[in-house]
Amino acid sequence: MRTARQTLIVCRKELRDSLRDRRALWSILFSVVIGPVLIGFMMNKLADRQRDADAVRVPIVGMHRAPALVNWLNQQAGVHVVEGPAEAEKAVREQREAVVVIVPDDFAERFRSSRPAPLQLVADSSRNDVRPSVQRVQILLQQYAAEISSLRLIMRGVSPAAMRPLAIEEIEVSTAQQRAAQILTFIPMFIMVAGFVGGMQIATDSTAGERERGSLEPLLVNPAPRMAFVAGKWMAATLAAVVSVCLTTVLCAQLTRLLRLEDMGIRLEIGPQHVGPILLAVAPMCLFTAALQAAVATLARSFKEAQTYMGVLILGPMLPGVLSSLYPIGNATWTYAVPMLGPYVLLTDVLGGRVPDTTAFLTSAGTCLLASAILIQITTGLFKSENIIFGR
Amino acid sequence: MIQIANARKQFGSVTAVDGVSFVAQDGAITGLLGPNGAGKTTTLRMLYAVMKPDSGEVRVDGVDAVATPQAAQARLGVLPDGFGLYPRLTAREHLDYFGALQGIESDQLAKRTEELIDLLDMRAIADRRTGGFSHGERTKVALARALVHDPQNVLLDEPTNGLDVMSTRAVRSIVRRLRDQGRCVLFSSHVMQEVSALCDSIVVIAAGRVVAQGTPDELRHQTGYQNLEDAFVALAGLDQGAHE
Repeated sequence: MRTARQTLIVCRKELRDSLRDRRALWSILFSVVIGPVLIGFMMNKLADRQRDADAVRVPIVGMHRAPALVNWLNQQAGVHVVEGPAEAEKAVREQREAVVVIVPDDFAERFRSSRPAPLQLVADSSRNDVRPSVQRVQILLQQYAAEISSLRLIMRGVSPAAMRPLAIEEIEVSTAQQRAAQILTFIPMFIMVAGFVGGMQIATDSTAGERERGSLEPLLVNPAPRMAFVAGKWMAATLAAVVSVCLTTVLCAQLTRLLRLEDMGIRLEIGPQHVGPILLAVAPMCLFTAALQAAVATLARSFKEAQTYMGVLILGPMLPGVLSSLYPIGNATWTYAVPMLGPYVLLTDVLGGRVPDTTAFLTSAGTCLLASAILIQITTGLFKSENIIFGR
Repeated sequence: MIQIANARKQFGSVTAVDGVSFVAQDGAITGLLGPNGAGKTTTLRMLYAVMKPDSGEVRVDGVDAVATPQAAQARLGVLPDGFGLYPRLTAREHLDYFGALQGIESDQLAKRTEELIDLLDMRAIADRRTGGFSHGERTKVALARALVHDPQNVLLDEPTNGLDVMSTRAVRSIVRRLRDQGRCVLFSSHVMQEVSALCDSIVVIAAGRVVAQGTPDELRHQTGYQNLEDAFVALAGLDQGAHE
């Protein structure tokens, strides 16, 4: 009872102390926010392009020469026909227009006499950003041509089917969607990294930092079991980690809503109903990473050395995310029993719309808790060692 | 009352404390005097139970500090070597933290904190963060923190080291006041004048051993020197190097 109270006292002090460490807070906030913001930026770029292609503006020079074409185009979804600029080529070269269609003088006459009617498509193929728009216009014109040729065949008593020896069905796997889905696989990784980074400052400052400041010795003169000090510091670090996980999750949720991913054909929504499962998946990992950080930082000879070790340890929460983009990690039962992997698989499950069963959650939480308990024992042992307390 | 008997402590091949024994009585100021590296800090660390002696006995008010360190620590107020303050906490928060860890109820702790702020004349700095404090101000905070649970025994490791005259006087007057309240005060120093001005009893320690103990008068008598500093030099064996 008394030990529990002392643990809470230590925890409260560490939280208060770290909240005043402005510089550390900013660096945590930065690393928590940078991931989602980066994703948002990339996704927004992709979405913009996709929308550009969907809603296409078709400037036509000489609209009056092809009223039927203009009519047909205006009836297509997302197509907006406007009067083309006088100097079409110059407008495209100067990037004022993505594409311009020119209807030459002899268009109407040749069209009427069923000879190939010329149309000019002015485009700059070196520009990647307008390629979807140009393609869209090309496809539209081809569609129009196909429709006209069908009509002409019917008028001459020939089935349009005769003109189509092949029926090619295009199965659209849009590259934009693929890329978007790939970017989104990083969300679980960012959430896990947020958990790691969130606890890092307290875990190192309250162990390696405490000794370096010389405040560890007076602290240990207080009549409390060493376990109370270690557990208090660990608890504070875990809480900070969970807070930063919540922060990242909320950010990602806002992001997915803002980007309107469904427009891009991606089903990913992070709503209030996901927050519980996400926390259930990641909170045990926070217990574990905070315990690991505290143990390693206690072993380090100095605060600086501890920070160097943290730079290596952070690969832990990043590894599953990076690996999974190269080598798909399934959700086999054993994966839940690996401290860093389990939470990652759970997160991808939750975000992918599958709710993992209770056993999966329990397996992951159980391993994390067990590993944390062992690490806390080790750290408590280190806190009893005179070599550690007095810095060798 | 603090008792230490035949305490030994070794670091690798170096014997830092080699069979130290003495008693610091209640209602008295006991000075632990010795040159740098004599084993003063190690001795104190064994007394406040953050170091275990390799052999020997340490008792605080009769409580075995080796077997039950926490019970002994509850009876001790300690100002360690180097104060170890938290730069982002205020002076008052330091007292809150340590008082709470000692198990003092919050209303009582608030009262005690006010008392100490007055006693140590730190009203002006009580709610400032200690990060920018002067050496004297930090000493006050560390001293207040050591006394927050009203301990019967007070251990001070070189408390006046590096202090200016006024701060030194303030610390001395507090040490005397603690003695007058019937407490056991043990403090270490390597400055003879400091010890002679303050102590009722002196323990001279050199190379990890107690070379003499007694009242200032007894020490003068023992060595035959009228000047305490000469007595100290003789006792600590510091003069031998000079002759060779």
